[in-house]
Amino acid sequence: MKKQKTIYESALDQGISRRDFLKMCTALAATMGLDFSQTDNVVEAMETKKRVPVLWLQLQDCTGCSESFIRSTHPKIESVIFDMISLEYTEVLSAASGVQVESNLETVIKKYKGEYILAVEGSVPDNAGYLMVGGKSAKDTFIRAAENAKAVISYGSCASWGGIPAAYPNPTKAKPITKLVKNTPVILVPGCPPIAEVMTGVIAHIITFGEIPELDVAGRPKAFYRHRIHDKCNRRAYFDAGLFVESFDDEGAKQGYCLYKVGCKGPTTYNSCAEMRWNGGTSYPIQSGNPCIGCSESNFWDNGPFFTRRAKVPGTQITINPDKVGVAVLGATAAGVAIHGAATVAKKKHDEKIRGEE
Amino acid sequence: MANPYHLDESSESAFKNEYPPKIEKVNNETVKIYVWELPVRIFHWVNAAAIFALMITGIYIGNPFFDSMIQGEASGFIMGWVRYIHFFSAFIFTANLLVRLYWTFAGNKYASSNLFRKIFWKDTWESVKFYLFLKNKKPHFVGHNPLAQLSYWVVIGVGSIIMILTGYYLYTEPQPESFLGKLFQWVPVIFGDSFDIRSWHHLVAWAFMAFVVAHIYLSIREDYLSKNGTMSSIFTGYKTESKDSIEDIKDESMPGEKNDKYYM
Repeated sequence: MKKQKTIYESALDQGISRRDFLKMCTALAATMGLDFSQTDNVVEAMETKKRVPVLWLQLQDCTGCSESFIRSTHPKIESVIFDMISLEYTEVLSAASGVQVESNLETVIKKYKGEYILAVEGSVPDNAGYLMVGGKSAKDTFIRAAENAKAVISYGSCASWGGIPAAYPNPTKAKPITKLVKNTPVILVPGCPPIAEVMTGVIAHIITFGEIPELDVAGRPKAFYRHRIHDKCNRRAYFDAGLFVESFDDEGAKQGYCLYKVGCKGPTTYNSCAEMRWNGGTSYPIQSGNPCIGCSESNFWDNGPFFTRRAKVPGTQITINPDKVGVAVLGATAAGVAIHGAATVAKKKHDEKIRGEE
Repeated sequence: MANPYHLDESSESAFKNEYPPKIEKVNNETVKIYVWELPVRIFHWVNAAAIFALMITGIYIGNPFFDSMIQGEASGFIMGWVRYIHFFSAFIFTANLLVRLYWTFAGNKYASSNLFRKIFWKDTWESVKFYLFLKNKKPHFVGHNPLAQLSYWVVIGVGSIIMILTGYYLYTEPQPESFLGKLFQWVPVIFGDSFDIRSWHHLVAWAFMAFVVAHIYLSIREDYLSKNGTMSSIFTGYKTESKDSIEDIKDESMPGEKNDKYYM
C-alpha cells in the first residue's frame, strides 16, 4: 500500500511554501478559537497527521450546507479538501458518479473503520421510502456509516434538529440524525447553513487534537456556539440605549438601530455570526439590516413569523403575541370578577332579606 | 385531652409541629386571632412589589414601548436600566420566596399547607362549590381555604419556580461558564431551547397577573362576606372572628384558661 502523505507533505507537493503553510496554520488556530500560543500544536498536527478520510452524506437537505462549506476562506476550501481531509464520498463535489462512488463509500466504511469522519447534512425520514440514494435506503446507509465512523459531524439545522423537513406538519416524519446514532460521538454544527469557517474549523479541530471539540449541553462545539448573537451583536449598544427600528423604512433603520422590535431572534440564537461573520468576515444579516431569523436554533422555522416578536405556546407549534393574549386573559378575568362580584352582592342582599323576614 | 387543633379534622392544619395562633379575647362572642405573622406580611408585600416591578419592566423588555429621548447615537441606557431593575427585583423576589419557604416550617398553622390529605381535597371541592354559589359544606376558615391554598401552591409555588428557573437561565445566557450559569445549565432539558424558555417566562408572567386580579377580588369578597377584617389582616396580622369559628383551637389556647403552653 502506498505510504500516505502527511498534510504538510501534500501541501508542499502543491507548491505551497513553508511560510504559507505556517500562515495557514496560524489562521486555522485563530478560526478554531485557540490561543495564539497553541498555533504550534496546529503546526505540529499538520506536519505529522495524515489526511483524514471524510464521507459526506446528504439526506433530506437542500445542499445549502455544501454550498456554504465550499466558501470557506480561513482555511481556504482547497487546502481543506486537498490537504487536510480526503473527501471520499460527496454528491456535490465528486467528479465520478454512479457505481464508482457508491462502491467507494462501501470501501471506505470497511477500510477505514473507526478512522473516518462522517459529515452529514439533512434530516432522516422515518419512512425509508422518502429517501433512496443509489437504490438503497439512505437511512440504512447513514446508520451503517455512523456506526463505523470515528465521529459524526452534523452539518446544518436539518441534521442537527430536524430543520425544515421536520417543520410542521413534518410529512416525512423527519428526525435529527442524533436520534439514530448510538455509540459514535456527534458534533452538532447547526445553522441554515452553518458558517463555512465553523464547518471547516470543526474538522480542523478534530485533525489537530485527534478528538472532538468541547461541546455544550446541546452538543454544539463551545468554541463557536458559546455565545448568543445578541451578546456579540454590533448593534447591541442601540438595544441597551433603547433605540429600535420600528419598520424597515424608518429613520432608525437608516441609522442602524437595534432590530429587536422587527423580530430579531439574536437574543435566542446561539451562533458565531456576530464574531466570524460570513463570506470571509464581510458581514452578517444583522449588520446588513436584516433581523436574525434564528436559523441555527431548533424549530426555527416554526417559531413564528421572522419579523415579529412572538412567544410559543409550550408544547405546540402555535405562536402568539404574549402581551395581547395576556391583556385579553386579564380582561376576561376582570369581566369574570365583575360578574362574580355582582352575583355575590345580590346573593348576600337576598340572604339578608330572607333572614330579615324570618 | 384530645389533640388541641385536631390535625385530622381541619384542612388548615398541615403538620404536627406547628403551633396555633395567638388569640386575644375581644368580648364573649368575639376574638382577635393573630393569623398572619410579621414574616408572612413582609413576604406578601415584598412579593407584591417585586412582581409589580418585574411585570412592568418585563413588558418593556419584551416589547420596548418607548424609545430613548436621545436619537441618533447610542448614548442612553434605557433598556439597560430597565433590565437592571428587572434583575434586581428578581433577586429580591427569589430571596423573599426562600424566606417564605423557611417560614412554612417555622410559622404558625396558617403559614403552612399540606396537600397530601384527604380532607384537604374534600374541603377544596366544598370551596369550589362555595365560589360557584352552590350548596356546600365549606367550613369557615380563619386562614386560607384549601382552594386558596391550592392557588398559592400553583401560582406562587410552581409559577414562581418556573419563573425563577427560566428567568435565571435567560439571565445567565451571556455567561454560561459562571457559577449561576452552571447552576441553571440544565433548564433547557425541561423547558426547551432559548426561544421556548423565553415563551414560558413571558406567558407565566401573565398568569401571575390574572392571579393578582382574582386574588385581590376574592380577598375583598371574603372581607365583604365574613366581615372579619380580611383586608386589614394583611397589614395588621389580625382577623376578628366569632368564638365559634375557632372551635378547634379555643378550648386549650384561650388566654387565661387552663392551658397556656401554645403561646409562650
